[in-house]
Amino acid sequence: MTTTLSLEAEVAGLIVEALHLEITPGEIDPEAPLFGEGLGLDSIDALEIALAVSKRYGFQLRSDDERNHRIFRSLRALAAHIETNRTG
Amino acid sequence: MTAAPDAPTPAPGSAHAPSHAAAHAAWAATPERGSGGALRLMVRIALGLGWRAAHGMLFPVTLFYLVTSPAAQKRAARRYLTRALGRVARWRDLWRLYFCFASTMLDRVFLLTGRRQGYRVEVTGLETLRAAAARGQGLVLLGAHMGSFEALRAVGGDGAPVEVRMLMHTANAGPADALFDSLDPTRRAAVIALGRPEAMLEAREVLDRAGVVGLLADRAVRGDRMMSVPFLGHPAPFPGGPMTLAAILRAPVVLGFGLWLGPRRYVLRFEAFAPAIDLPRDRREAALRDWLARYADRLSEVCRAHPYNWFNFYEFWGDAP
Repeated sequence: MTTTLSLEAEVAGLIVEALHLEITPGEIDPEAPLFGEGLGLDSIDALEIALAVSKRYGFQLRSDDERNHRIFRSLRALAAHIETNRTG
Repeated sequence: MTAAPDAPTPAPGSAHAPSHAAAHAAWAATPERGSGGALRLMVRIALGLGWRAAHGMLFPVTLFYLVTSPAAQKRAARRYLTRALGRVARWRDLWRLYFCFASTMLDRVFLLTGRRQGYRVEVTGLETLRAAAARGQGLVLLGAHMGSFEALRAVGGDGAPVEVRMLMHTANAGPADALFDSLDPTRRAAVIALGRPEAMLEAREVLDRAGVVGLLADRAVRGDRMMSVPFLGHPAPFPGGPMTLAAILRAPVVLGFGLWLGPRRYVLRFEAFAPAIDLPRDRREAALRDWLARYADRLSEVCRAHPYNWFNFYEFWGDAP
């Protein structure tokens, strides 16, 4: 559980950095939707996040992944997906 | 085939409200007039009687639309023509503009259904596309509401060794779009619908496969912020969205024009625009303006050379008196 939590914080930092958000990583509600309402990200941000994730964790987020809806649902879901797929 | 000239449509649920009053006015411009039923009837006549008969129909149809289209639309079109022609636009200029538009709509019916007999399509600048394909490199193709993008896709894509996909909003597709989709089932598949988190990932993957991602750059793709740059000698609001998407996709940018030259005659023109669109974060605003100005400048030249191919039938400059 601790690894997941620290990874969550790490991914929050990655998102803030990749998107140059004007908030601190701690301000991202891990359960809130990343897209639409919530953090209000869009498809451009999804691409930026995908690129940052592949650079840092060594695996690709694919557009045809049917789990995308779930993966991008929240910070927690994204971190969990990274946890199971990371190679780096 | 004679839906009213496309009016810009706002992106629903867009995160960015248009900040420019003119852009906002543009959203409210002319609703699409051609009803689905009338369009279907005309398509049936066109396909049943053939191109020549349908072409003959264009004269009364153009006259009908010219007479019944809102005065504001005609005023806007004349203002554009006056700027493109460098002289006061007359009724016959307006006629030519509407006739050109109707012709491209009719041709779409034939091009989409693979009836390309009798069409003469000249292609220039194909080496730009070929060179990129040879390097295994994807390209972003910036188009405009000009001439026939369909011709660009239907004919330019014919036998093309690369995948061509359009990045656009589909939520506002009108009856004409539904009809054209029914004529060519692959048309819808060739669109990457914006507004989904994975849209840009999909576009990036097309580029990774050395494919082409097309964008229309003269209207907002997502109710995006407008920036004023000189166009045909006067400042006009251009959307920052398409150029920003091109920058984010990190690929060389090519301009594409499918210009109507006369009955069943087109020239498809591809031109290298930039090896990459760079928008450094610290001077993003200024850089974006520079790129838009460059684009508008090139668009001005093409409009002057082919004034009757421009299909933005609203106050493009937002300077209605």
